[in-house]
Amino acid sequence: MDELSRDFANRDDLVAYLTGLTPWLDDHQPGPMLGGVRAARQQLEQIEPVRYARTRNFLDGAVTRLSPYIRHAVLTLDDVRNAALECVEKPVQIEKFVQELGWRDYWQRVYRSNPESIWKDVESYKTGYTAADYATELPEDIAFGETGVACIDQFITCLRDTGYLHNHARMYVAAYVVHWRRIRWQAGAGWFLHHLVDGDPASNNLSWQWVASTFGQKPYIFNLDNVRKYAGADINTTSADNAPLDASYDTLTERLFPRRGRAA
Amino acid sequence: MSDIIWLHEDALRDDHPVFDAAEPGAMVCFVWDDEYLQAMDYGFKRLLFIYETLLELPLAILHGNQVACLSALAGEHNGRILVPETPNPRLQQTIATLGENGRVEVVEDRPFVTLAHAPDLHRFFRYWNTARKLAMTPGGGR
Repeated sequence: MDELSRDFANRDDLVAYLTGLTPWLDDHQPGPMLGGVRAARQQLEQIEPVRYARTRNFLDGAVTRLSPYIRHAVLTLDDVRNAALECVEKPVQIEKFVQELGWRDYWQRVYRSNPESIWKDVESYKTGYTAADYATELPEDIAFGETGVACIDQFITCLRDTGYLHNHARMYVAAYVVHWRRIRWQAGAGWFLHHLVDGDPASNNLSWQWVASTFGQKPYIFNLDNVRKYAGADINTTSADNAPLDASYDTLTERLFPRRGRAA
Repeated sequence: MSDIIWLHEDALRDDHPVFDAAEPGAMVCFVWDDEYLQAMDYGFKRLLFIYETLLELPLAILHGNQVACLSALAGEHNGRILVPETPNPRLQQTIATLGENGRVEVVEDRPFVTLAHAPDLHRFFRYWNTARKLAMTPGGGR
């Protein structure tokens, strides 16, 4: 058996070597997220668990960027929780932060309880549609960020260029794919797992299922006002460029789920 | 005779309990398995992240099929294969195949919380109501 190289002068050398090792990939662009234990520890030192609770839903909020390190167990949830507790006098100050770590633990427990089920609908859709009503393939305009819905295209471009997307933006894109375009969550989940450096089958797939309503009590949707509130100035949220999202929740619910609530 | 520690992508660090379970002098390796990585459908950015992490770990990066590489090493070293626990069905299958021909021991990671009873996983908040108190404690109740 061959042993692969461990000696590289710099990251560019490693990228060139790894490009040669992965001829099956079309895209060999490196991402900004650095692997390694040192990078993980440096990121861990920068967490702001109190501010996180107030700002985590904003795309420029105090999120930790620890997810790829947690995904590959460079850091454990125990490491992160213990570091967060050291930032405060009273644990209650960081309860929201620890609860989000709890979500990761929860997804992993669900996964471990039945590893083979991760690609199956946990429950039926609560949208008025059945699984058969959803397309099984991801359309190219979504895959390449050319949907014509400006903010969605910006989020997809970020996903493809960086291998990362803020959790709130992941929810927007997932909801758009499943509910606006009526694509099965599995197609979107597989696409995210390909691009996300932190993509985890449990967290990713079960979150997609939560959005889809196959692991939750109702479908998750959003509207343009919500994107405007959380996305910041870098995202195009003009009505003209985001027409399918620009409506009230009641209007969108009627438009997206016309069969929901009707008697069978 | 010496142990082999097989680190896979679900445990990329050198303070995993698998290191405590091994005899001193164990060989540590990661297997870069093209077929496995293609089946996982990882993009280049993820593979770069994994490789960069491997470069900071005290291990050999072997290139080949996971079962073939680890079986050959186990034969050579005549010892146990120690591997971190994983929920990944593909890795679990590899572990099961290796176990048919030799001694394989799966070692669990440090938990987030140590619960006395299996929690209700039907909805998050049923789990969280059980786990919350310990989750807010250093070490999670260990």
